[in-house]
Amino acid sequence: MGKVAMLYDSSKCTACRGCQVACKQWNDLPGTLTKNRGSYENPPDLSPYTWTRIRFIEKYEGGQMRWLFLAQGCMHCTDAACVKVCPTGALKHHPMGLVTLEQDLCNGCGYCTQFCPFHIPRLLTDALTGKGKSFKCTFCMDRVTNGEKPACVKTCPPGAFSFGERNEMIAKGRARVLYLQKNGYPNANLYGDVLLGSLGRMYVLLDKPEGYGLPVSPVSPALTHVWQDWVQPIVSVSFGVTALAAVTAFFIARRHIRMEEVE
Amino acid sequence: MSVRVKGTDTAIRIRWIPRYTALERYLHWGHTLTFILLTMTGMVLFFPFLAPLARGEAGQFMRLVHRVSAVLFAAVPVSYAVLQPRRLLLTLKELRFGRDDIGWLKGAIPYYLLGRHVDMPPQGRWNTGEKMNAVILVSGTIIFVLTGALMWFGKGVLPVWVFQAAVIVHDLTMFATVSMFIIHFYLAVAHPLMWQSLVSMRYGVISESYAREHHAKWYYGEEQAKKLYEQAKAKAAAHGKAE
Ligand code: HEM
Ligand code: SF4
Ligand code: SF4
Repeated sequence: MGKVAMLYDSSKCTACRGCQVACKQWNDLPGTLTKNRGSYENPPDLSPYTWTRIRFIEKYEGGQMRWLFLAQGCMHCTDAACVKVCPTGALKHHPMGLVTLEQDLCNGCGYCTQFCPFHIPRLLTDALTGKGKSFKCTFCMDRVTNGEKPACVKTCPPGAFSFGERNEMIAKGRARVLYLQKNGYPNANLYGDVLLGSLGRMYVLLDKPEGYGLPVSPVSPALTHVWQDWVQPIVSVSFGVTALAAVTAFFIARRHIRMEEVE
Repeated sequence: MSVRVKGTDTAIRIRWIPRYTALERYLHWGHTLTFILLTMTGMVLFFPFLAPLARGEAGQFMRLVHRVSAVLFAAVPVSYAVLQPRRLLLTLKELRFGRDDIGWLKGAIPYYLLGRHVDMPPQGRWNTGEKMNAVILVSGTIIFVLTGALMWFGKGVLPVWVFQAAVIVHDLTMFATVSMFIIHFYLAVAHPLMWQSLVSMRYGVISESYAREHHAKWYYGEEQAKKLYEQAKAKAAAHGKAE
């Protein structure tokens, strides 16, 4: 199989949060106690224990409140900043287009949490010693590489999630957007078909991305490239050159300076 | 103290003059040790080919060692300031650069690399190279502490671009200081003309003759050193003409 993707259709989602539960169940993540914040959205944010959740965005139009739902989780970017900055290789690209996270390799440095343009990975860490691990949606790598659908996709009762070949998902999403645009949602759009080299998680949105709190044109931060593509290689080469120069100087100086003349 | 010349019965008396206080020497070696530890544990995160050492438990250990050494590393200048504030101020004052430093830089390569006796302008207790090393390490230490603290405590508290910038500045500072360290290490440990520097960092003293030749402004005082230097230069010029 080539690259896969999951397509989440905001127009079909009923916010039952079955995906949240299925994710916790499959990945063995504990539930957490939360407080009522005056919103159905719960838990309040992604966390080391919550890798996906439904956002309830309250939109007011002509005195009427309307919800926009969104299944938040790792976007499985083709140009993934997190993979680029991870010093251990715990974050990796899988040929099927997943961005996987191997906890065993992670050392908890938290670089991924600071460079991801979607603010997805979350760190469970001791702030003082720095001991910790990063957590995020792994696209259910264990299921997907064995021919199963991700747990969230499998469980979704209204079929808001589809899963399959990436090109097929893009075609399906575009067709759905055309349909929605003709049927009362002029702002409907497909999010992720062309962003960051195409995303493994794509959204059919009823409103502009801004309305969902999504970055309109996410890029891996410019500093990712400065760091990984410039600073690292240049410093590596320069150290070699400096050390070589010192060794060369040692031999040249030894030939020219006689200890007997030195006091 | 007298030293016996190898293979002869001749004994030479050497007068030793103090150059560093005991505290300065302890702190120097404390800074060296923690710097090496910080470099080794930091590199593990920096160089992709060292990734195997950065993984899992090993990586967490490296990061812990980095943090513990960082505290000691930062404690060095602080203890200096607390215990010998006057010495610290005087030392920092010596880091001024002037005309003689340009002359030193011009002469350094033929002198230290090729052993040619070019005329080197008189130097203070620290020569131009030693001062450059000190300036880079002092400013580097300050930048390391600032950016390191941001990386340590800033995650999730400060905007992400602050962290992103801090990592890069931390790495560039590592580049500057480690490059300087390689040169410093070579000069101190392996260079034939510099062995007395190592002695002075070990025992705190330097021989009178070495001080006279290499640190004239410190030995004779600024005025006198300058006069002697001009005289020597004039003599050499006259000598050159006569030939
Ligand atoms: C007080 C001084 C210092 C502090 C507080 C400090 C702190 C840190 C912190 C917090 C990190 C991020 C990794 C982690 O979270 O554990 C780090 C990384 C690093 N540090 Fe330091 N550090 C200091 C001095 C130094 C020195 C002296 C060097 C080397 C000469 C150094 C080289 C590095 C390198 C190479 C990295 C990895 C950056 C990367 O991944 O590209 N640090 N340091
Ligand atoms: S969304 Fe963030 S964590 Fe997921 S692949 Fe992209 S950069 Fe990495
Ligand atoms: S926290 Fe773990 S996964 Fe994230 S960059 Fe560091 S080592 Fe990689």
